[in-house]
Amino acid sequence: MALRGVWQLQKLIVSCCDWGGSSRGIGEFLESQLLAFKEKNPQLEVIAELNRGHHPFLKGLYRNKNERVVCVKNMTPEDVHQCATRLRNALGRKAVKLKTRHVTKHPSVQGTWTTDLQM
Amino acid sequence: MANRRCIQNLNRHFQFLRTRTPHLNPQFLAPTSKFTLHPAFTPKSLHRLFNSNDINAQSVVFRHFCSKNRNDDTDEEEEDEDDDDDYESEGQDIESADDERENETAALSPEDKEKEAAEIGYKVISPLQKSDRVFKPYEPVFAVVQIGSHQFKVSNGDCIYAEKLKYCNVNDKLILNKVLMLGSKTQTIIGRPILPDAAVHAVVEEHALDAKVIIFKKKRRKNYRRTKGHRQELTKLRITDISGIEKPENMPSLKTEKKEKIPSLKTEKKEKQEKMPVAA
Repeated sequence: MALRGVWQLQKLIVSCCDWGGSSRGIGEFLESQLLAFKEKNPQLEVIAELNRGHHPFLKGLYRNKNERVVCVKNMTPEDVHQCATRLRNALGRKAVKLKTRHVTKHPSVQGTWTTDLQM
Repeated sequence: MANRRCIQNLNRHFQFLRTRTPHLNPQFLAPTSKFTLHPAFTPKSLHRLFNSNDINAQSVVFRHFCSKNRNDDTDEEEEDEDDDDDYESEGQDIESADDERENETAALSPEDKEKEAAEIGYKVISPLQKSDRVFKPYEPVFAVVQIGSHQFKVSNGDCIYAEKLKYCNVNDKLILNKVLMLGSKTQTIIGRPILPDAAVHAVVEEHALDAKVIIFKKKRRKNYRRTKGHRQELTKLRITDISGIEKPENMPSLKTEKKEKIPSLKTEKKEKQEKMPVAA
């Protein structure tokens, strides 16, 4: 996600538990793939936290002060990587149903058509 | 099991061919008997033999005798073959399908294949931008661009939500090369069907999921109700530049001329409205 070239995800908090079984996938992700993920995204601040007694989650903090929390309990490391990539790829905006697939400020170049237009 | 089934089907094909191409019989009589005895023959080598006979559509027909135990791999292979058939030359269809199959099973296709797949969606990736001044102010030029099966009328600075473009990352520069029409204030260029020299530059802004759509099925009085959630994967592109048409060079005037601008703008608008029907 990059709005006009500016990355929108500022911080990614990876929180897991070292005891619980639901954190197994994210534990493996932390050991194996997290470094590669960090190197791919140098602009991103990745923090690994220990949160005992709770299910693991990924928390993304965006430039528009929006927080997106994704629970990754019982996920494989590949799934966790995909979740992290999705958070990185998205803007911080809420997932609203799109009105149009084409957003523009200048809808007409040659003039809007009217019924009175004489060619 | 799947191998044996494949070979049985291919056997049938071979026999069909034998009847069709009698002049090739002496060469192939021996192999046919061998084929029934060697289940270790991979479909690949059989395909390569077939190539010389110029079988194109028929080679894909061996799907007739599918059973429930079909693996996912074989399904993917068939889909790959279909996709390749569309855009590659006929003789190379089956070989490239085989190559794709091999590479897909390795979970990484070589860059050339990715580029070809990108061309299906009519985009070419250029390297990531690093402090480029790509985002220009608005220019009164539009283009009609096709991505996949959807067409968009696009201008500088617009945002487009297209279907997920597989082989590009966020903050990549793209060139959309399937341009169907270009237009400006004074000129319109119509492609038949594409304009070869035109290009539209875009930057990938995000790959995100759309809002959830709930697919609800119900048959009343029949105790049938199904609920399914679906989130479509979209790519947001920001259009930065349109090339291939002459752009009008009207530099916006500076602060001192603001007051003079306003009455002049109104007259210009009227003139433009009169101009456009003539030009268009």
